[in-house]
Amino acid sequence: TGPRCPTTRRSRELQIWVKPNCFLALVTLPFVSEVRRLDKRFKKLDLDDSGELSVKEFMSLPELQQNPLVQRVIDIFDKDGNGEVDFSEFIEGVLQFSVKGTKEQRLHFAFRIYDLDNDGFISNGELFLTLKTMVGKNLEDVQLQQLVDKTILSADTDRDGRVSFQEFCKVSQTNGVL
Amino acid sequence: GLGFDSIPCSVFQKLLKRLSAIFGVSFGIRRLYMKTLLKVFEWATVRLERGAKENNHPLYKPYSNEIKEIRRSGSNKDLDSASEFEMSDIFYFARRGVESIMDDEVTKRFSAEELESWNLLTRSNYNFQYISLRLTVLWGLGLLIRYGLLLPLRVTLAFTGVGLLVFLTSLIGLLPNGRIKNLLSEKVHLMCYRICVRALTAIITYHDSENKPKNGGICVANHTSPIDVIILASDGCYAMVGQIHGGLMGVIQRSMVKACPHVWFERSEVKDRHLVAKRLSDHVDDKTKLPILIFPEGTCINNTSVMMFKKGSFEIGTTVYPVAIKYDPRFGDAFWNSSKFGMVNYLLRMMSSWAIVCSVWYLPPMSREEGEDAVHFANRVKAAIARQGGLVDLLWDGGLKRDKVKDTFKEEQQKLYSKMLVGTQEDRSRS
Repeated sequence: TGPRCPTTRRSRELQIWVKPNCFLALVTLPFVSEVRRLDKRFKKLDLDDSGELSVKEFMSLPELQQNPLVQRVIDIFDKDGNGEVDFSEFIEGVLQFSVKGTKEQRLHFAFRIYDLDNDGFISNGELFLTLKTMVGKNLEDVQLQQLVDKTILSADTDRDGRVSFQEFCKVSQTNGVL
Repeated sequence: GLGFDSIPCSVFQKLLKRLSAIFGVSFGIRRLYMKTLLKVFEWATVRLERGAKENNHPLYKPYSNEIKEIRRSGSNKDLDSASEFEMSDIFYFARRGVESIMDDEVTKRFSAEELESWNLLTRSNYNFQYISLRLTVLWGLGLLIRYGLLLPLRVTLAFTGVGLLVFLTSLIGLLPNGRIKNLLSEKVHLMCYRICVRALTAIITYHDSENKPKNGGICVANHTSPIDVIILASDGCYAMVGQIHGGLMGVIQRSMVKACPHVWFERSEVKDRHLVAKRLSDHVDDKTKLPILIFPEGTCINNTSVMMFKKGSFEIGTTVYPVAIKYDPRFGDAFWNSSKFGMVNYLLRMMSSWAIVCSVWYLPPMSREEGEDAVHFANRVKAAIARQGGLVDLLWDGGLKRDKVKDTFKEEQQKLYSKMLVGTQEDRSRS
């Protein structure tokens, strides 16, 4: 595939007022081309026209089927916890990863992937479980536990046995993936 | 007898040939037109891309399987010196996941907006910017040709086609039922639809015509726009199914049914599913009647995927002839967004495009198997159509598709990632 046609670089024009709980933003969203595109995308994914995306509908994308973390990503999108992602959750979730999303938002998103019970801390068990989904059966539990212990040891600066958001941010600043 | 039929037949044939000569541009010229247009679009795209100075948006990078990307900062590029597990590793998976949600490789190819070539229609390029004088002049020239020359010509043809259809079918309606009537009706329908095809400058390629639908069957096709009907009906005779409208559409419908039996429903009857099913069954049971043309999706999809097929048409126990229609998006987006544009607006847009290029595949007939229910049969037909047209069969892929396939891909990713973690561990223990 060659360089992208300029049509899709509208994201720059997306105004800052697309903040999560701004009702006004949601009302005027359909008129911005970037979000129009998201709207089309949402409708395309919504196979049964229910207005919400279920896990099954996400999994209809072959590339997502390969991704071991997709269930966590969907869980994080699903703010109200009803098991499905509606349009405003979809927009909020996706925009965090666009140009308009802040580094803070993305760090927070990544933190949420580990923090399974959403209590603001990554415990040893949570890290283990997340790592397990990423490696599957390819590593022994013992090896995995060693990795987990090592990681927590190096990240946990206040010695409370778990990783808080601040500690997480400090550890994650070291590479430029964001 | 035979002699009696052949005289009006041959006269009609001559009339048909003369009319095609007047209205028709021969097939060879249309191909040349298409090739020329493509060359111009290519040039325009190169100019546009050269002029565009923006960087590649990271969200839209093409899908790559490089798990090495996981550690992207300069010092960590060399995997051997990379540390073991880092908490930020999941960013890579999360980002890839969201990218796939936003825009996956499979469907991206078919989205009207993702055109990698600019076809000189600003309606397909929402972010038109001034790039160069030459490009603007070309676009302006294109505009002039399309609206000044092509559009009036096409509108005239369209009116002629429709007018002839109404007039001639009403005439034929006066004849007694019989072979002559059927023959004439066939010829008239074909001729008028062909004129309409010319009115849209539709360049259609038909594949596998030996599978064309036969009497007593149902023809099922994916639906992108109202033009689908014209495209199919200009290559074969079908009985249409639909609701009777008021206005011009109603006039056309009422006169068409005089020449040969179509299945039109009153608005009130449409709700009654049993009535609809019964009328359709009665129609297919009569082998002298033409095959029914149905678009099971019921609504226009933007020609990139084949959505849920409504099962009603598949409950009638007869042979189904699937047809796949695929429009070439390089020449103009044939998708009708009925919430955005009305019918007239849509037709005007179509007629002011350069051309409509599409391919039609006649697939081998399918029937419901023993013990198969209508939904499963519908999905089977849908999958066949999607496969042929290169369209994405979303529901099929997501639903019953072998779970094994899903897991193997995921396992591969897990294996790759594990190798990365373990690999560095072994290096460490060795050193």
